Amino acid sequence: MNPGKIYLDNCVTTPLAPEVLEAMRPYFSERFWYPSPFVSTGEATSSALSGWHEAIAKTLNATGPEIHFTSGGTMANNIAIKGLAWAHSSTGKHAIVSVVDYPDLLTNAAWLEKQGFEVTYLEPDSDGLVSADKLKAAIRPDTILFLSTIVNHVVGTIQPIEAYGRVLAEAGHRIFWHADAGQAYGKLPLDVRALGVDTLSISAHKIHGPQGIGALYVKSGIKLAQVIHGVNRLDPLQTGGLSLALIAGFVKAAELTFADLDATTNKLRELSDHLLQRLESTIPEIELNGPRGEGRACHNINVSIAYIEGEAITMMLDMQGITVATGSACASQGLKASYVLMAMGRNHVQSHGSMKFTLSRYNTKEEIDFAVERLAEITASLRQRSPLYRSTHPEEK
Amino acid sequence: MQYSQKVLDHFMRPRNVGKMEDPDAQATEGSPACGDQVTVYLKIDEESKTIEDISFLSYGCASNIATASIITELAKGKTLDEAKKLSWRDAMEALDGLPPVKVHCSVLAADTLQTAISNYEIAHGLKEVPNFGKDTIVEELKKIIYPQVGEDIVSLKMVKYVGFDNGDVLIDMNMMSFDEWRENVAEEIREHLSKYPEVKNIQINFP
Repeated sequence: MNPGKIYLDNCVTTPLAPEVLEAMRPYFSERFWYPSPFVSTGEATSSALSGWHEAIAKTLNATGPEIHFTSGGTMANNIAIKGLAWAHSSTGKHAIVSVVDYPDLLTNAAWLEKQGFEVTYLEPDSDGLVSADKLKAAIRPDTILFLSTIVNHVVGTIQPIEAYGRVLAEAGHRIFWHADAGQAYGKLPLDVRALGVDTLSISAHKIHGPQGIGALYVKSGIKLAQVIHGVNRLDPLQTGGLSLALIAGFVKAAELTFADLDATTNKLRELSDHLLQRLESTIPEIELNGPRGEGRACHNINVSIAYIEGEAITMMLDMQGITVATGSACASQGLKASYVLMAMGRNHVQSHGSMKFTLSRYNTKEEIDFAVERLAEITASLRQRSPLYRSTHPEEK
Repeated sequence: MQYSQKVLDHFMRPRNVGKMEDPDAQATEGSPACGDQVTVYLKIDEESKTIEDISFLSYGCASNIATASIITELAKGKTLDEAKKLSWRDAMEALDGLPPVKVHCSVLAADTLQTAISNYEIAHGLKEVPNFGKDTIVEELKKIIYPQVGEDIVSLKMVKYVGFDNGDVLIDMNMMSFDEWRENVAEEIREHLSKYPEVKNIQINFP
């Protein structure tokens, strides 16, 4: 184990799998051609590309033509949300999103409001769960769009997507559903056919693929307005150039993750169970944010450590070579506490003291044990300096 | 890394940290809700009015802890009159600077030291409890840092008008409508002023 390199912030980005780098290599050099008919170089790429569409489609139970490669998850979200809203606004201008959704969805919803849409923001429960009943109650005759984040990016809550699907199917009129699966892809089985979702975004670098490539699933027959205008090189929705090497890498990463998805997720579940058990048995006055057990994605553990502040904890862990994230306002660019934790009813101290661990299949129990031991020492040391701790624990000198 | 070596040193090995038994004066400023809180304890030689010993506790981020540490070093051994001149600018300078977005964290420790000194002076009849008024508000506004540049909002001429009448505070601000820090600054103003029992209402106007 190398204590200088313990990376526990895998919801942001993940290390590239070595096999992925190998799969990309030829497309950076000799196989650089873009698709083109009637020339052998271009046809070779067309054929490879069609296989890649099929490969990603297979991981979602979709078909090849329903997969569109994009330059990342955010691009996929923009193409889908703006594309759906523009294409279907003649039938209504009401959208539904939840206050705990991923920033891509919330910033797009805010933009829709500027375009004359009305947006209903659903509130979560104390575990970050947005119930299907709340969705049902928010539906209006002019609702055309529902946006959801399948796995919450802060606390790992798995939203009740099957129930959403039923509510939308029974709504009595057509409501388009876009789902962000950035944190869900490779962490739980996703079947777009069974869900009935219209568009769904995924990203390569969350599953040990390269940064800068993602994909959008668009259900066959769904009309999207064009968002990115330009030459149709590889994809009619994201026009212009995309990197073939990155697509090849994405496909390899998906193959590795989905070759045995149960094994991948079981390992992550075992690691995160171990992490939570170690945290709760080692550090007093710590509380889990979000659901416990099956309702939570297998790679996420988020806890609040009472009486101390997350930026200080994060920096001290960093000096020991351990990378984690915090929901503290002090560690954020906008100096704001985590909007997800606040919406779940956590107070400022709980949010400032929150630590988010997100694991990958490359993490080990030894790494986790080392990180928890260091965190326990740091917690004890910062608590000794904390007026909040000292005033509530007068017996300790 | 945006922090200087000095900041990291004082954050990792804070000086004068800990609770003091039988201090001659103490003060706690900030609140858990704002994300930081500092307590400063003073031991003062009554004859020479010198700070003989000083210690602090801090709930806050790295720059909060580092500033509290350095301000105790700066204040130790100084007379009260000398220590009263210490501000967040001195602390920041002694730390070889802070990232602009972190300057606001340095204000609290300096502020808490000043409150502790003031508490001592009031308790020993060296000064009267100051009357609350417009000047108090302006002094508080000088402690509010515009995160974009790390300078206080009064020096930056962001405060156009301050009024105080019968518990009502009225502040006219000069910040553009597209300024992303407007909400943040307004929140800070409210936090700073609402600790005064004299303040009943706070109205902040933006153009």
